[in-house]
Formats: sequence, structure tokens, C-alpha cells
Amino acid sequence: METVKMTQDVTVNDLSWKIQYTPERCTMCGSCVSVCSFGAIEAVMERRSVTVSAAHQPEPAQQHMAVPVIKQREGVAQACVGCGMCEKVCPNQAIRPQRNPDSRFNLVARAGGSPIKRGGRNNLLANDRTLDKIIVGRISQMTDPALDSERHTFDILAPFGRVLLPKELPLKVTGGNLSLDSHTPPVNWIYPIIFSDMSVGALSTRAWEAIALATAYLNEKHNMPIRMCSGEGGMPVKLMESEYLKYTIIQIASGHFGWNRIIKAMPRMKTDPAGILIKIGQGAKPGDGGLLPAAKVAEHIQAIRGVPKADLLSPPNHQGLYSIEESVQKMFLSMNAAFKFRVPVAIKCAASATSVSVYNNLLRDPYRICGGFFLDGIQGGTGAANEVSLDHTGHPVVSKTRECYLAAVKQGRQGQIPLWAGGGLGLTGNAAADAFKMICMGANGVFIGKILIQLCGCIGNEQGRCNACNTGKCPTGICTQDPRLVKRLDMDRAAQNIVDYMLALDGEMRKMMAPIGNSSLPVGRSDALVTTDPAIAEKLAIQYVC
Amino acid sequence: MFTINTIDGNQRMSTQDLLEAINSALAGGETEFHIEASGQHDIGGPLWHPEGKSLKFTVKNPGQRVGSMCLEGTEIVVEGSAPADVGWLNAGGRIIVKGDGGDTTSHCAASGTIYVGGRAGTRSGSLMKHDPLYDPPEFWVLKNCGSFSFEFMSGGIAVVCGYDSEAFESVLGDRSCTGMVGGLLYFRGVARGISAKDTKIQPLATADIAYLESKMDDFLASVGRPELKAQLSNWNEWQKAVPLTYDERPKKANTNVFSFRNGNWIEGGLFGDVCNDDYAVIGLVTTGKYRRRVPVWENARYSAPCEFNCTASIPSQQRFNLLRDGKIDEAYKLILDYTPFPGSVCGAVCPNLCMDECTRGNIDISAQIGRLGTYSVDVTLPQPAKKTGKKVAVIGGGAAGLTSAWQLARLGHQVTVFEADAKAGGKMEQVIPRSRLPQERLVKEINRVVAMGVEIKTGSPVDKGRFEEIRKGHDAVVVATGSHNTRLLPLPGKERLVKGLDFLKAINRGEKPGIGKNVIVIGCGNSGMDVAVGAYGLGAQQVTCIDVQKPAAFEEEIRHVKKLGGEIIWPVFSKEFTADGIVTTNGDKIKGDTIIIAIGESPELDFLPADVLIERGCLKPGDDFRIAPGVFTAGDTIRPGRLVDAIGAGRQAALAADAYLNDSEYQPEQKQKIPAGRISTAYFKKCHTCDLPAANEDHSRCISCGTCRDCQMCLKSCPENAIHREELADGGFQYVSDGERCIGCGICSGVCPCGIWTLTENAEQLNMYKV
Repeated sequence: METVKMTQDVTVNDLSWKIQYTPERCTMCGSCVSVCSFGAIEAVMERRSVTVSAAHQPEPAQQHMAVPVIKQREGVAQACVGCGMCEKVCPNQAIRPQRNPDSRFNLVARAGGSPIKRGGRNNLLANDRTLDKIIVGRISQMTDPALDSERHTFDILAPFGRVLLPKELPLKVTGGNLSLDSHTPPVNWIYPIIFSDMSVGALSTRAWEAIALATAYLNEKHNMPIRMCSGEGGMPVKLMESEYLKYTIIQIASGHFGWNRIIKAMPRMKTDPAGILIKIGQGAKPGDGGLLPAAKVAEHIQAIRGVPKADLLSPPNHQGLYSIEESVQKMFLSMNAAFKFRVPVAIKCAASATSVSVYNNLLRDPYRICGGFFLDGIQGGTGAANEVSLDHTGHPVVSKTRECYLAAVKQGRQGQIPLWAGGGLGLTGNAAADAFKMICMGANGVFIGKILIQLCGCIGNEQGRCNACNTGKCPTGICTQDPRLVKRLDMDRAAQNIVDYMLALDGEMRKMMAPIGNSSLPVGRSDALVTTDPAIAEKLAIQYVC
Repeated sequence: MFTINTIDGNQRMSTQDLLEAINSALAGGETEFHIEASGQHDIGGPLWHPEGKSLKFTVKNPGQRVGSMCLEGTEIVVEGSAPADVGWLNAGGRIIVKGDGGDTTSHCAASGTIYVGGRAGTRSGSLMKHDPLYDPPEFWVLKNCGSFSFEFMSGGIAVVCGYDSEAFESVLGDRSCTGMVGGLLYFRGVARGISAKDTKIQPLATADIAYLESKMDDFLASVGRPELKAQLSNWNEWQKAVPLTYDERPKKANTNVFSFRNGNWIEGGLFGDVCNDDYAVIGLVTTGKYRRRVPVWENARYSAPCEFNCTASIPSQQRFNLLRDGKIDEAYKLILDYTPFPGSVCGAVCPNLCMDECTRGNIDISAQIGRLGTYSVDVTLPQPAKKTGKKVAVIGGGAAGLTSAWQLARLGHQVTVFEADAKAGGKMEQVIPRSRLPQERLVKEINRVVAMGVEIKTGSPVDKGRFEEIRKGHDAVVVATGSHNTRLLPLPGKERLVKGLDFLKAINRGEKPGIGKNVIVIGCGNSGMDVAVGAYGLGAQQVTCIDVQKPAAFEEEIRHVKKLGGEIIWPVFSKEFTADGIVTTNGDKIKGDTIIIAIGESPELDFLPADVLIERGCLKPGDDFRIAPGVFTAGDTIRPGRLVDAIGAGRQAALAADAYLNDSEYQPEQKQKIPAGRISTAYFKKCHTCDLPAANEDHSRCISCGTCRDCQMCLKSCPENAIHREELADGGFQYVSDGERCIGCGICSGVCPCGIWTLTENAEQLNMYKV
């Protein structure tokens, strides 16, 4: 008897993923062990001691052999996350992770009294998406001409900034000429899909730069006015000193990380940023501030953020704020003032039961300085959060966006504070369809994040695969600051994939605008949508079909 | 000649009436039609003469789709302009519009000829095709076309002459040729917005000019403008739009981020100020500095369980390795570096802690380490060649003292042992029953100590004065006087107690101390068991051993006593000792004529100077075994223990004294037990007890935990051939992994039976980031 195991000992079958290994196919090339950033597998010797009988009657003969094999390591700390890098590098298809239906991970992974932390997004709701039950069901057939998606000119633009009603415009007539009497809020008309805020720190340098590169490329080479939001971890100084800053929306969140370098770069900015986004909360972990585990706080992060190596937790709210009113007056004003009232300032909140009230308050703001309301739903992604927050807190973004829109419609104020929706959009890989449906329901545009890193090569998903963004061990070099992993990422290909996807998405947007006969974005055209789910139809005020 | 005016006063003929009138005239054999139309559709096709004769139409003011579906043999001349869809689906007719053509002129025409003497509207020429059984359709326009002309054109020839079109930005309108996949479009003058993703614009070739020249006269004559020939025949003003072939068409968007980054992007990269990145991509499986992990050959970094558990730190795995290599002498000598008593202690009285956690014991039975000691009884070692000239006194000739003396002598010091007893050997000689420790073996091993140059002065007790003399006469002193004061219990009748140690010493001296028939032994440690056995040897009929707690003696010793008839009782708390035995605190009486107490001893330390630190009756030395300047101690003076403890401490005290004599610093040995998980036991087949080899053949079963057994498994398993073996100058060897080949897979570590290779995180700094 060599190994004594107790019933409470964590063994492989307690983990979420089990390594399926076929020793007959294995050549012990070592690639799988070498590539595994989680140390989930190791080479070991296995004893093969058997008594066989090869004669025509029982003639026992003992055979003894020790053979090298690849074995999954036991224990929570080295648990396989199912990333499948082993399978990717195996020349012989000898190894692959397999989801373990008998997993007891939830029961064994809280040892030491610490909540389970991970990255990724909600793993419970992915198979029951409202958007998948909605289809574009109003097709132009004889009543009006469908448009030619290939040849028609489409105006696929959304406002970032406060839009005034015609009657609110400060126009005056002097000497028979119309002129503006006073300042109007800045508005940038941009592509209705924003590359959403993933921070310097959450992402590797290469992954962040890949998204910035793709953004610039789409603008410069394909005339797609895509904007990228920096995230709350500060800005690369060299970006701020370049013309490409104009494609970037700078974020400020409760941690105010990186703003020293942003402010110091202001005199050297050749152009204004595309906007400012004040992050109040995020859909993946509402009520929590940002979280960057120490494992990812490398030297450059320490520099840009101005912090030592430590777990970086942003407070759950901006420390200087005590009320919605104050947030409007103080935070908006400061951000508007910082960029001399030339740059639109928007706000991002986690979708919540209270979102409509917040939106109403913003709509009533007499100073008209809120340039956008970003609603982030429960299926939004994150680099690190408590799993309980990811899976069990948050608010779906679809109905909430719709409610905000309809609340504005009721007051005749729709479109004045552009509504931007995010959180799980593009989850199935069809961001265009998700965006289009959200727009039909009243969003001016959407923001996407996770799909971008998936385009970079992230293999994580909503079925519990990988989701190790918080560990610093991202096997694809995207959500890590470990140079040995970062250097796995081909930045150009990552950017190229994003570019290709967005070009396709643009075509797909047209493919949906054309049949409903809209050449500009069909914001609020909920008549274009139908659903086979009566509850959804009732809740979202769209046509029920069966 | 069929002539018709479709307006009669205020009455206009319907399209159907007109076409039926034409049809009936045609049925009557008519071939020429002159029609004064008023917007009727579809004049001119699809018609054919019953005898195949040609049909000729002259039409004024037609409606849409004049000449639609027109067949060969039909010619239609429109005087003036025609509205939309002239020649729609033309299937061979010759259609001449002398004025302008409306929108979608020649739409879907697939054969025949369409001439327009003015301008053509939007989407003209769209979806033209060419049926290969017939000549291609031809569509000529004297002036220009509206936007979206020639969309989806798939075949045929279109000619836009660009006459009188200078006022237009483009003779083809905007966005011409979108979706064009076939045919040819000739145009003269400026054209903008031609779909570049569908066509390429080329100058005319000889064949193009030949075609245009061959048709120009007919076209101009047909539309009544022959005078324009010279103006339109400057071929330099012409170009053609040729659709891209299927292969020429890009199948994906024309994007190249790589070249953009190198040409247009921020120099040095976005994070260039805080990150050195060449953007090179390393593979998923890498070597050198990019490996995630690095194997390290850590031979003997960890102690084998035998070595770790042995308080004398004897590395038995190394002894077995030497035996396996056939280095028998070296193997037997190695143990003498650690103990001078491999036979007397390891091979006889030692409980062999070494074997308790032997890895082999997890497979079948521990390697026979204790017994291996007996093979070293007769081994001799030469005296050291170099003498230091330093004199060291060792007070006490027991296990600790003789070990210290042995080690110090081997280090070249001149050592004298002062032994109070008549014989050296301490408890090994005086107390331990001869049955457990053959005296002949002990004598041999003590003689080996003497042969190393140690002088043993027996019968030399040391008191305070003598100690000072000795200390003055020597460079260092080791106090190893053991513990010889038997502990008593302060209870009524304690004067009746016989001291166990005295009892055993007497037996070993060959005396026969008098005892009763019933003997009680207080204390069930090994010493108590020795007393019990001794009592039976002296004729006791019943021996009862009591203890206040679970007996601490080895099971083997207890079994021996029980076999002799001894009774072991615990817990028993004595209250009083009487002539009849013991009265317990419970009031029970245990019958006995003689009560022998063996609950331990304390050291006799009166001879030492007053300033040595004593705690609970024992010496309390520093970490370097020092109790006073130049005075060291080891063994039971510090804490009563096993012989192996005394041997281990004796060696350490000797090393400490040696360091003192050399003015160097004594470094206590640090041992770390090898984690069980590092060892691969899978190699070893379980044997049965009956298969056990002799102890000196047990190297086949020893795993060599933590010490490389030089099996080359790693070298031969490395998938990258990164490992090689190097001979060292000192006769040793090492295995080295070449970082430039190694991928950090850890197979070396995984296959190593001994747990030598450690797979560590690659600690090499890459210096990618900076502040």
C-alpha cells in the first residue's frame, strides 16, 4: 500500500476539468507539460505490474514495467482550467481536457476561507439569452423597398455626446444669417460599436495595443469610425502624444488610476480624445470596484498607475461622490472642464433595478453635460471578480436598455443622452445581430469587450472554460503581464482578426438594415423585431409571433 | 405597311388594344409597322413573322419597354426619345432610339443591338448577359448614362461615346459597373466612381479599336449623326472597363495590419516608454530563456528518509549506491564517517529509526539498513596523515565520548579519553545486556577507535580539580560523561528501591545481584525491559513491569519480556513501597520481593566549574555544543537519549571542537527530508519477505531517495536530448540540462526515481517592463 488517500483529499475527479489522456498515442514529447501555464499536468512514472497467463492453462507469469505518462495534478491550486493548450500542441491527439460533470470544485475551492475568484463572465446565463429569442421579423416586402446591402449608402453612425433638441439649439438670426448664440455640447458621431474598456493591466501590453492598432486601422484604412475605451488603468503615454488619441475614449473610474500621466500629457496632446467615460460600475461585478490581482501588477503597471505591486482594488464608488446629483455636477463638470468643454463626457453604470431613475435624472439635468449613458449588463466580462458576483449579481441589459429608452420616449427626450448598452453582446460570436437588435430597441450603440480578446485568441467561454484572467497565467498572453506568456501573442494577427471581424460585422449590419429598409441606424425601431416568447414580447413591447 | 395612330380625339388606345392590333396585322402577313404611340408599353416584341420575314417598326412616343423581349429579325426605330426599359430582355432585335433612352435601357439584354442617339438613364446596361449560342448583345449610347449604369453586367458589349457630356462629372454616372462580372464596357471621356472592386480600367487594344471602328459607322448612321465619326474616333480618348475575373477578385478585405504597424503606427509601439517589446512571437513550446520552467539537478539537496531520521545522519542511500556500483570497501567505510559503532549500535541495539520511514517500506519492506552496519565491524581506516598537534581531552568513554574521540582523531588531533570505569564503552559496555550487544563486536569497534590513535585512560574518574588539570593540559575538552544517577520516586519506602542502572551494571560485570522470586520493575522503557530480562536471568519467577503511561520500550523488547512470562501493567501510580511490594494510589497491592526502578537517569555534573549552564539537571550548551570556552559536551549530559543520539551529538560536538581549534565557525548540519512526492517508486516491483536479499545486496531494493543513482533515466527520456552526464574532477559526476534545448517539460523530473531534478519556474529576468 503506497498512497493512502482520505475521503476529503482533493483528487482529480473533484476538479472542474479532467485530463483525457491516451498513453498509447503519447510519445512523451513533453509539449503539453511545457505549454501548460497552470502546471496542471506533470510527467510521472506509472507502475504496470500485472500477473498474466499466456499459456493454455493457468500459468501465472509476472510482468513488471514502469512507463512514463502524463498525469493531471491533484489539488485546487493546480486545477486544470480546460484551456486546451495541451491539446493544441500535442502532435498525436493524445491529450485534452474534458469538462467534469461530477466536479466538486465549488465545495473544495473555498479552502482557507477565501471566495472563489476568476475572470470571464457569468457562467449560468449563457444558454438563455433574450437576444437569441428575438429576430428581425419585419422585412420589407412590397410595402417598401428593401435596400441593397451591397450598394446602398448606409449611415451607420451613433452620437457620443449630448444631443440637443432643435428648439434647444442656441440659434439666433443676425442680418438674415443664422448663427449659434452660445456653446453647444460636443458630440462625436462614431460607429455604433465601441471597443469597451479593458484596462492597461487587465490586458497585456500586446493585447491592449492590438485593440488600439485595430481601432486605428479601421479608422485610417476602412473609414470605420470605431472608438476604443481605455479602461480604468490609465493610458499609454505614447498614445496620448499621438494623433491616434482621437480614436480613444479615456476612462476614469473610482480608483483614478493613471491620471497623473494623463494630466501631465495634456500639454503634449496634439488632438482631443474621442470622449471621456466615467465608470461608476460594471455589469460583471456590480457594486464592486475594479480588481487587479498583484500577479498582474508588473513594473509598467506600477508606473502607469502609480502604485506598488499589490492587489489593486478600486473602491465601489467614487470617493468624492455622495449622490447622483453631485456626480452629475462634480464629476461631469471636472471632466468637461479638463478638456476645455470640447470633449463629450459619458457615464457607465452597471444595469440595475434603478437604472431608469438614474437615466431620468440625467435627462433632466439642466446643464446638459451628460454625453451618454452606458448600461452594462450582467453578462459583461471582467479580468477578475468574485465568482459569486459574476454568477449571481447583476442585471440583464436588454430590458433595462429598453425601459430607459421608453422612459425617454415618454418625455420626448429619446436620443438626447445617447444610450449605449453592453454586457454579453457578441457572446455567441454574432455581435452585429446583438448590436442591431439592441439598437432597434432603443440603444444608440453598444460596447463589446470579451469578443475582442476572443478575436485575439482568448479561448475562454461561458461554459467555465479557462476564465483564469485573474491568475496572471493566461495561456494566450492576453490577460497576463508575464513576458513569457505575453510573447505568445502575435499582436499583428490579433489586430488583424479584430479588423476582419469588424469589416464583416459592418457588412452584417448592412445586411440587417437593408431588409428593414433603413439607411440610417434604426434606433428604437422595435417594430422591426419579433419574438417567439410571449413574455419577452410583453416586457419589451415587441411583436409576438409563433 | 401597318400604320396606326393611337390617339383618336380624346381617346387613347390601351396597350392591350394596340398590341393586339399589331398582332393581328402580323398574322395577316404585315412586315412594316408605323406606330404613332401614346405611351403604350412593350411595343415590338416578342414578335416573329409566320414566314420568317423581317419586321420593321417605326415608333413615335412609345411607352416603357419598347422592344422588350425583341427577337432577331425585328428592327425598331424610335423617332425621338423613349422612356424606361428600352430593349428590356432584348433577345436579338435591333433597336434604335434616336433621342434619349430612359432608365434601365438595355436592362438584361442578352443579344441583339440597342443604339441610343442621346443619353441613357440610370441603371442602363444593368444585368446584360451573353448567351454563348448567339452573338453578344451590343448597347451603344452616343452621349452618357445615369448613375449605377452597367450594374451586375455579365456579358455583351456596351459603348458610351461621351459626346456632348462635358458638363457631367462622369459619362457613366456615379457608381458604374457595381457587381459587373462579364462583358466589356467602352467609354469615351471622363468617368468616375467605376467600381474598382469589380473592374479594372484599361486603354484600348488593337482588337477593341477594330471593333469600335467596324461598328461606328453603322451606329452613327442609325442614330442620324454620321458627321461625328471623326470626333469620336480619337481612340486615345477611350478606355474600357474590364470585369475582374473570378480569380482576380479579392476573396477577403484588403487589410494588412503588419504593414500598417510598421509604416504608420507609433514608433516603438504604444508602450515603448515602459515596455521593451520587439513583437516577436515565441512558440507555445519554447527553449532557453522563454521556457516557463527550468529543471535543476539537485543531487543530495534532500536527505533520504533514512538519513533524515537517523540522528547520526548516516546517509545509507549512499552506502547502497556504492554497493550497487561494486564499490564494496567504500560502502562499508562510508558509515565510519558518521559512527565508529556500525556493528554495535546500527547492527545491534539501535531501534533503526532509519528504517521507520524508508520509502521502500511503502512498497514492501524497508531496506535492511541496520543489518548493513554489521558488515562494517571489521573495516579499518588508516590514521590521518596530517596531525594538527592539538590536544583534546574527552571525558567519558561511552557512545558520545568515543564518537567524539574517533572523529577528532580522524581530524588529526591528539585525543585522550578519560574513562572512570575499568572498561571503555559506557552503557554499551556496562548496562546493555550482552544478549543484545555481543561484547566481542563492541570490543572490536572500541579497538578500532584506539587504532585511530585515541588514548583511552580507563579507571580515570574526573573531579573538579582533575577537570581543571585536564582543561589546562588540553586545547579543548569534550564532556561526555553520560547520565548515571538513577532517578528515584520520593515516596514512602523509597529506600527499598534497587537502582536499575546499578542492577544492570552489576550483571554486565558478571556479578549476580541478589533478588527475590517476585520482582517489580518500575518503568517500562527499554531499560526497564533490560532489567526484567536480567531478573529472569537471575532466577526470578515472576517479573511485573509497571508504568504510569504506555510503555515506551520497543515492541520487540516488550515481546521478549512477555515471552519470558513478564507482566506489563499500566497505568499504575505508586503510593508506597513496602516489603511485600507496591501499594498503588488506588489501594491495590502489587506483590514483589524486590523493586527495581528504571525510570531514567540524570547526569553527574559536580566535577564541572560552577559557571556552566545547567537546566533541570542537564547541561545546556549553545548551538555549537559549547558549555565553556574550549569545553564542549554531547550525549546524555544534555538529554538522556538513545545511543544513536549520543553518536550523532558526539560527532557534532567533535566538529564544533574542531572548528574551535581551527578558529573557524561551526555550521550545524541542515537536513531537509525529501518530499515523498518527488520519488518515483513505480520502478520497483514489490517483493515478498522470502525474496529479501542479504543486507549488503539490498541495494537492488534501495531507491536512493534524494541521491542520484546514476541510472540515466533522465538522460534517455529527455525528448529534446538536452541532458548530458559530466564526470567531475573529484571522481563524481553530474547531469546537466542544456537550456538552449530544454523545453522545460519536466520529464526528467517526472521520471527520476530519486527525486533529484527539480522543475523550477524560470527565474531568468526578461526585463520586458520598466517604470
